[in-house]
Amino acid sequence: MTKDLVTIDRVLELIAAYGALPAAWPEDERAAAIEILKADPDRFAAALDEAYALDTFLETEDIPEPSLALSDAILAHAPKAQAKQQSLLGVLGKLIFPQGARWPAGAALASLMMGLVSGYAYASTGVGYDQADAVYYAAFGGDFETDWLGSE
Amino acid sequence: MSGLSELDQITRAASGDRAAQAALVNRNMPIIFRVAYRMLQDRAEAEDVTQETFLRAWKALPDWQPKAKFSTWACTVALNLCRDRLRKKKPVLMDELPDRVDTALRPEEALASQQALESIDAKLAALPDRQREALSLCALEGMTNIEAAAAMDVSVRALESLLARARRALRAELAGERE
Repeated sequence: MTKDLVTIDRVLELIAAYGALPAAWPEDERAAAIEILKADPDRFAAALDEAYALDTFLETEDIPEPSLALSDAILAHAPKAQAKQQSLLGVLGKLIFPQGARWPAGAALASLMMGLVSGYAYASTGVGYDQADAVYYAAFGGDFETDWLGSE
Repeated sequence: MSGLSELDQITRAASGDRAAQAALVNRNMPIIFRVAYRMLQDRAEAEDVTQETFLRAWKALPDWQPKAKFSTWACTVALNLCRDRLRKKKPVLMDELPDRVDTALRPEEALASQQALESIDAKLAALPDRQREALSLCALEGMTNIEAAAAMDVSVRALESLLARARRALRAELAGERE
């Protein structure tokens, strides 16, 4: 509400509803209402006195404290954390097998690992290409000597 | 935890973060308890309502929409629970009057009763429920008119009317006492 819309009657309504303290009045009307109040303080003196007496009376309210066990009882029913701490292996497993460990994926990974290890072992022994190819052909049933070197 | 926005706090609380849950309870439990106590005038019942309000909050948090402050939402729930309880407590009209019993109080009981009547609690308790709700949220808990109106599910104008009537009734009570 803008300043133009706050009238003397509206200030009296604010005092009647929210009390004597401008801090309790609606923020959008407060500044305009204070200006009207300052312009003619006598006009509002009686209403402010009455409201202030009631504000002071309300401040004497004495409410018991809730029991100490209440917050514990409330927290006992609070949602529990879902995710548990995972081991490093578990985290790696999740990264490698996001859909869970399944046989075809596991077999493919095992083959890949074996290939890498074999390749490394082969390179580190310094065995020549010829020998390696011979091993390959022997393994898969080919005739290396005949296919590549021809019969002499 | 105080540096977190309320939405962050609620998100963490919903995912099981104990610190966020404790912060949410510590910040809002006293308000909910006081609002419930003013309505029910009974500590045990106010505690039951407070606990029930948070049980509903724990269920609501995973799908929380930041349309209102948590305290406003919680006060709405608490007020509804209080209204249910008050409705069940309303006296039932009887066909016949019960036999009269001796209601004379002993002097010390009469004094205690008089003091209770003079207390602000008794005066607040004597107000109609909706006026008491409005005064409790606005004047005693410091909610803004918009928050209080939302918690009570009424318009701001209706809230102001309830507040003005509540204050007028209390002023009349106080004036009657002084005469």
